[in-house]
Amino acid sequence: MRVALLVLLCTAVSGALGYAQTYPMQTPVPRTTSLPALQAMAVSREVEERFRLGLAALGGGQNAQAAAEFQRIVALNPGEPRGSTAHYDAALAYAHLGRYGEAAQNLHAALALDPGFLAAMANLVAVDIARGDLTEARKIADRYVALDPDSARALYSRGIVALRAGDARTARDDFGKLLQANPAYAVAHYDLALAEERLGNDAAAERELRTALTLAPAYARAQLALGALLLKLGRRAEARDQFARASHDANDPALQNLAAAMRDSITI
Amino acid sequence: MSRALLRRLLGAGLLVGSLYCGSVALAKAGSLEEMLAGQLTASDPAPLLGPITSAGRTGWECKPERAAAARAWQAADLSAGPQAP
Repeated sequence: MRVALLVLLCTAVSGALGYAQTYPMQTPVPRTTSLPALQAMAVSREVEERFRLGLAALGGGQNAQAAAEFQRIVALNPGEPRGSTAHYDAALAYAHLGRYGEAAQNLHAALALDPGFLAAMANLVAVDIARGDLTEARKIADRYVALDPDSARALYSRGIVALRAGDARTARDDFGKLLQANPAYAVAHYDLALAEERLGNDAAAERELRTALTLAPAYARAQLALGALLLKLGRRAEARDQFARASHDANDPALQNLAAAMRDSITI
Repeated sequence: MSRALLRRLLGAGLLVGSLYCGSVALAKAGSLEEMLAGQLTASDPAPLLGPITSAGRTGWECKPERAAAARAWQAADLSAGPQAP
């Protein structure tokens, strides 16, 4: 009986010791009295905490508060990768506030710290387009495509910038390449059609628009574009049908009214 | 007033009216075409990629960086545009 009790006691004690060894303390006690080392630990702790607060604020739509948290991290000069990440997140908060200039500055700073930061390039192209700087957007888009030529977002972004800037040839190449990997992406067929139409390739433009409409039959912008192309080609009855479809399917009232007006203006 | 004068006045009135209506129709057609051209623009830019944690962009857990490099449009978080059937 005594032996059995002793064995039971030993088992319980060893079990308790085992649990104590499995779960270490969450915050290690600083094993230094060096002032610079303690200061670095405090800064690191503050950076972590501000990231947590900033991300929570971004998630809750409190963009001004988020921007302030990330700017404070930047001021603490936390080193990489946290420095470029803080700039990236600050840019996101500024972009949501419509402060595109500050967003672009932060994304440039992120790229200066980490030149291969693809997500920063992707967002910088969108921010540059939003602030109307197509030249800068094109520079970044070229860099993005050069770093990752197969990235769907890189090809799409440069294609959109090229179309907006009047470079239909680059737009055609980029959307064409995007569609090789994504043949069922209706939006890319629509943009490729615009590029082809601007290059004078009406047959190719019509083919791309019809493909877009096969993939997404209620794509009102593609219906409107096809109507305009058919009208240009003198196929008035077909054009009228497309405008009628666009008028029926459009969610945007401006698009809907325009399509209806175009439909009504065509007399057969 | 003689009948001949009345006929001439009526004719002139009709001519002025038809010219006016024609010019209005032409102007309307012109502005419609301009509006149409204004609508035939490139699609919207790609939506912004989301935030990144303090761990940075490296590592498999960084979704925005993976989206920035993805080959498929869905994985790249590009706009779906109108819904497919």
